Amino acid sequence: MLCEQCRKREATVKYVEVAGGVKTEHNLCAQCAGKLDLGQYSALFEGEFPLGKLLSGLLGIPDAAQDESRFAGVVCPVCGTTYEDFVKNSRFGCGDCYSVFDPLIGENIRHLQGSERHVGKRPAAYGDTAEKTASGEDLGDQEAKAPEAGEDRIQRLSLQLKNAVRREDYQEAARLRDEIRGLKEEADQNGKMV
Amino acid sequence: MEKWFDVPEKEGSSVICSRVRLVRNWREYPFPGKMTKEQSVEMTGRLMNGVKESGAFSGSRSRYLYLDRIPDLERTALLERRAISRGVSKKKAAAGLVLSEDERLGITINGDDHIRIQAVEKGAALTECYRRADQMEELLGSRFEYSFDEKYGYLTSFPTSVGTGLRVSVVLHLPALSRRKNFNSLTSDMGRFGTLVRGLYGEGEENPGSLYQISNQKTLGQTEKEIVDLVAKAAAELDAQERRLRRTAMGQRPVACADEAYKSYGVLKYARRLTRKDAMEFLSQIMAGAADGILKMKEPCSVYGLMLGIQPANLLSQAERPLSREELDAARADFLRARLPEII
Repeated sequence: MLCEQCRKREATVKYVEVAGGVKTEHNLCAQCAGKLDLGQYSALFEGEFPLGKLLSGLLGIPDAAQDESRFAGVVCPVCGTTYEDFVKNSRFGCGDCYSVFDPLIGENIRHLQGSERHVGKRPAAYGDTAEKTASGEDLGDQEAKAPEAGEDRIQRLSLQLKNAVRREDYQEAARLRDEIRGLKEEADQNGKMV
Repeated sequence: MEKWFDVPEKEGSSVICSRVRLVRNWREYPFPGKMTKEQSVEMTGRLMNGVKESGAFSGSRSRYLYLDRIPDLERTALLERRAISRGVSKKKAAAGLVLSEDERLGITINGDDHIRIQAVEKGAALTECYRRADQMEELLGSRFEYSFDEKYGYLTSFPTSVGTGLRVSVVLHLPALSRRKNFNSLTSDMGRFGTLVRGLYGEGEENPGSLYQISNQKTLGQTEKEIVDLVAKAAAELDAQERRLRRTAMGQRPVACADEAYKSYGVLKYARRLTRKDAMEFLSQIMAGAADGILKMKEPCSVYGLMLGIQPANLLSQAERPLSREELDAARADFLRARLPEII
């Protein structure tokens, strides 16, 4: 197999990244792997590394150019950022860009961040879960205030499960797993009854 | 008032400082990359006034700086002290900085994002830093509506900060651990847990000072507390490993360890010219000697504060005129001779 970065030398290094339960495999040659090290990551967090390049290089999307032609012409109506702008600079122009480009890059954000849903603090105007989540406490009594749709709840619990596994808090993970299983069974039964 | 970095290091610890950065954008404007020049100027002014009116920086000696109007040298000096990010230090458009006198709390306005709150403390104090940054975030949030999305959380220019907008980091002094052959694999192992370790003044062998920063890679899908706990735990683990190695070294080769520390002290106390690299390496030896209880200073001394002080822009901003390279090396030696306390 050829190295996925240079496509010249034989891939001798297999690099597996596990982020939030998502496993990504990379096959690299020794030279490219050596360069990869952490330098690229640090550049990424300085915000100087173009996300497009990073995504195609690091996340193993074979040819970003193919995708680009398909997405060409997508423009944020609010600030005028185009998909090409985003790929080039890896930055958004305004808050609305996130919803405009979500279908195109949502998957990439999930790869990059290991998640696609915010679970932390919320502004006061967006409901009262903020304090609880920010302090990392259980969200138990939230259900009493606003009945949450079954699917949303499962999604939220799945995310908590991922985080528990990441923290190596297996006791909590097992509890969450059972709760999710229970909810899924419940949902199945309800479905049958209808 | 004492700056945060002048607080002496704790004996027996490799943790130098803790830092929390929290970014937010104001819903009313596009992100900095898409703002017109007029919008940049207007928003920077409005946010600067908003911070002033919030009363958060009540100290009379807090500074309100328009970064685009101060000399390059002063901006670089702020960057060297890590009061501002590299991005904003080079920015041409309007940008602001509000900085408390002790530099423990700062707000950058119109950098990569509209608002970047930074809280720093000497030593291991991430939770305290987060508490202060969060308090500031609440205070500004009551005046300026943040750009927020149900799915992605707080929206930021770069998708690498979206969600919590939170980047927490700890600086550690790892002269023993970083010389181990397996240090690189250790740092990539840390990567699997969602943390990133990088040299503060370069990578690998070329990191004079042996200072390393560990921070969170991801900002989305974890609560703020989880992020803070993750980095604090990883930093504590690195600290413990470094301590273990140093104890072993001191047990096996006590004279060699003491020799390194005393020789380095001798050089810095008497040298007349010092390059940055040499000075950083000798200071690193002194930092290790002091942390290991080998070197006892007559007065409390912050070695990290000295490391920041000998960076070029900080030295040049103390000088009365521009200096040549040789003069700068001489100024660096003078700076250290004057500030290194006597040893017992």
